[in-house]
Amino acid sequence: MRIHTDPILFRQRSRMVLVLVLGVIGLLHFKLFHLQIIQGQTWSRMATNNRLRKIPVPAPRGRIFDRQGVVLADNVPAWQLLVFPDEAEELEHTIAFLTGQGIIEGGDLRQKFSERRIGTMAPLVVAENISWEHVARVRAHQSDFPELSVVNGYRRSYPQSAGTAHVVGYLRRLTEGEVERYDNSQPDQLIGATGIERLGEEFIRGKNGERRVVVSAVGRQLGMVEEEQSIPGDDLAVTIDTRIQQAAVEALGKNAGAVVVLDIHTGAVRALYSSPSFDPNLFSSPLSPKEWSKISDDPQHPLQNRCLQGTYPPGSTIKPFLALAGLQEDLVNPQWSVYCRGSVTLYGHTFRCWRRGGHGRVDMKRALEVSCDVYFYLLGQKLGIERMAPWLERFGFGRPTGLGPAHEASGLIGTPEWSRRVRGTPWYAGESVSVSIGQGPVLVTAIQMARAFALLANGGYLVQPYLIPPATPLEREFVPLDPSSLEVVIAGLKRVVVGSEGTARSLRGLSVAGKTGTAQVARLPSEGSNTERAHHLQHHAWFIGWGPVDDPEVAVAVLVEHGGGGGSVAAPAAAVVFRAALRSGPNLGEGK
Amino acid sequence: MQHRIDTILMLAVVSVLAASMVNLYGVSAAVGSGLLMRQVVWCVIGLSLLWACSFIRATYWEKAAPKIYALCLIALVAVLVFGQVRGGTRGWFVLGPISIQPSEFARLGTMLMVAAFLGKREDGQLHLGGFLVVSTIVAIPVGLILLEPDLGVALTYGPVLLIGWWLGGLRPRVWVVLGLLGVITAGVAWATVLKPYQKERVLTVLDADRDPYGAGYQVRQSRIAVGSGGLSGEGIGRGSQSVLRFLPAQHTDFAFASWAEATGFIGASALLVAFSVILLRLGVLTERTGQRFDLGFATIVFAWLAFQIIVNLGMVLGWLPTAGITLPLFSYGGSSVISTCATLGIVQSIWRHRFVNQ
Repeated sequence: MRIHTDPILFRQRSRMVLVLVLGVIGLLHFKLFHLQIIQGQTWSRMATNNRLRKIPVPAPRGRIFDRQGVVLADNVPAWQLLVFPDEAEELEHTIAFLTGQGIIEGGDLRQKFSERRIGTMAPLVVAENISWEHVARVRAHQSDFPELSVVNGYRRSYPQSAGTAHVVGYLRRLTEGEVERYDNSQPDQLIGATGIERLGEEFIRGKNGERRVVVSAVGRQLGMVEEEQSIPGDDLAVTIDTRIQQAAVEALGKNAGAVVVLDIHTGAVRALYSSPSFDPNLFSSPLSPKEWSKISDDPQHPLQNRCLQGTYPPGSTIKPFLALAGLQEDLVNPQWSVYCRGSVTLYGHTFRCWRRGGHGRVDMKRALEVSCDVYFYLLGQKLGIERMAPWLERFGFGRPTGLGPAHEASGLIGTPEWSRRVRGTPWYAGESVSVSIGQGPVLVTAIQMARAFALLANGGYLVQPYLIPPATPLEREFVPLDPSSLEVVIAGLKRVVVGSEGTARSLRGLSVAGKTGTAQVARLPSEGSNTERAHHLQHHAWFIGWGPVDDPEVAVAVLVEHGGGGGSVAAPAAAVVFRAALRSGPNLGEGK
Repeated sequence: MQHRIDTILMLAVVSVLAASMVNLYGVSAAVGSGLLMRQVVWCVIGLSLLWACSFIRATYWEKAAPKIYALCLIALVAVLVFGQVRGGTRGWFVLGPISIQPSEFARLGTMLMVAAFLGKREDGQLHLGGFLVVSTIVAIPVGLILLEPDLGVALTYGPVLLIGWWLGGLRPRVWVVLGLLGVITAGVAWATVLKPYQKERVLTVLDADRDPYGAGYQVRQSRIAVGSGGLSGEGIGRGSQSVLRFLPAQHTDFAFASWAEATGFIGASALLVAFSVILLRLGVLTERTGQRFDLGFATIVFAWLAFQIIVNLGMVLGWLPTAGITLPLFSYGGSSVISTCATLGIVQSIWRHRFVNQ
């Protein structure tokens, strides 16, 4: 039997609960209204973002060819591993997976994640050029790591490898600021870092496309919504002649040094090789710290472009220009001669000729042929630095040529004003005497040298060197020279090769004129011969010249760092380059 | 004499169950179509049970309450020994294709027991003795369930306890003391018991954008799904959040979100209205019956259903932390559907027999 009780209290209490609950449900209903009706558009857009993923379609860069159509830079298909960091549930798990599979090294990726811009949905490239085996492993675990995506991409490839590393250049990643600046660029995009890759960037860079695909929550691509095609970059034909370039590689061999070959009329660079070189293909995919330190810590500095960035004392190769200056200034005539006894004392200091026994009587042509130092000491004394320096400037020394693929050194023309400003000491008269044989405060680059010799060969035009053929011929500076003066100097430089006492007789048989140079690195008190010096104290060896003699086409500058004698080391190396350059036939002439 | 069952309540229940099956059909692309067939079977069993329970006289339920309660406790102990582990919780008896979750059924026993105890009391206030009895009735099954451990189900016993205290007539100052104790316990639990992921879930509620790809991922995806439904929805089986599986637990905890995505504000409101009707009819019942047990049981059921509905929707809409509380009658799950139907069956029995002895 039930006990009948008055449930008024119960009922009151239950009513209160009822009202409270219905109130809360009303609030929830309002929240529902707010989400669906008021904010519906916003959430709908987010749902769209959720299922649509933007995948960059990288535009292949234009290829780079040499003047004969040999490929210098190419694109090869490669797998790229992308990660969409915003999709990852736990990035550490992703990193652990990728490192566990041996696909990446964890530290790099953590660094990348920490640098990423949040909320852009843009993917990061975590590995490039991954093997098919790794692709398969990623795909096998795709459902566990929906944030990973393997796409087809391109890898830059340099078939000539180290042979054209400095001139063709290599690629680097865009910096964060550049990502903002460039249109449609991706954080991991590569652009030209040096060389032609940098010079021709605007031309060879294509326009990236974008593919919008529907993905499931586990990252499966279910279909494409739209695709903006990428526009490949334009191919580029440059002035380099691979055969000459290869000859330059061969000529320097294991020596450190530089080879520059110029078309004397136009300034087109036929070869530009700096040794030791490096494999630019390494830079096409992210470089591991180990690989990077191997290159950057190399005491030989393979990344340095010795053709443009290396400054060296010119040694005797400066002599033809001072001879010209002397003639132009009317301080000497071609017949003026001196008697070389192996040394001369000026300003209380004994200046030695390289030939201890002396050369006897030498006029200008013979002084050039035998590279007599005493002749040029006395000529230098007549000229003085105040006349030498302006002439050297006119011949293009002391300033960059403006070739442009990398930072270019200016070199140095020491003057009294420079001495006060930079060194804080007065100029010594004896220094002018040193400069007259290319020692002391005078430094040049290999490309300056090649250009200056081109000027001798082309009748006084200072050309503007270039790698990418310009639409219109470049301006050349004209240095007015008395033809007869030029003739005397050229005659002297021909005798360097063909004369019985010429310092570059090893080049005989080739139609070449030029000048050797043996530049002292350090003045030693002992009289010991060069070969006994430690390698880093040995002389730099130069040979700079042009050919063919009668109808000049190319100027070649060869520098062998610490190589020894210009005649014994640089001239034979130059012979290798000249053989290739002179065989390359008539000037094909870009733009014709 | 017998009366008809409450047809409005029945209609609302059947509507919610029907909607749940439509929703399962819609998300079958993502969760598999086998679930729909099972749910149909659970619904048929549930509705049959509801029907059967409604014929048993309400007084019987009151008398049988201790036995049913004892049976439930035995089942809860047994599951700790013989039960199967799923997702780290030892909470299921598995018999061939059928798996039973006793913690869902034990709630019914607990509700009956609390209502029976309160129905017997003449006192308008709940003194220490009564307070301890009510608390113990709820604490024993909750303790056993926490041993499994299944925090989500244990939480659904909370409203049973609170409403027991409330109906019993706990004095205001005791409420204040209990409130303070609750705050202190919560603070201590925060510092000691709660796992970091659980804390993150709570913090995510306070700041929705706190960790959108970690602890906040589920709620974020749920809000995207609900919001993108708009007025009329994307269509059954066409919601991208559901079909592409961005929405987690879309047939269980977040079933409402996939429904809201598919049917929009119209469909979601209709479901909300159906739930409101169920709650309102429970309210009407409390107005119509004169028996303390009837009134007590109906209010407890009301409080429990309201709790689960509010907490689940609060979670789906981003107001409450994700705590594994399902939407009754709508989320997939046999034990939940059947035990809820059985509970509503007893409610219908009370409705049928409400004029007896009056």
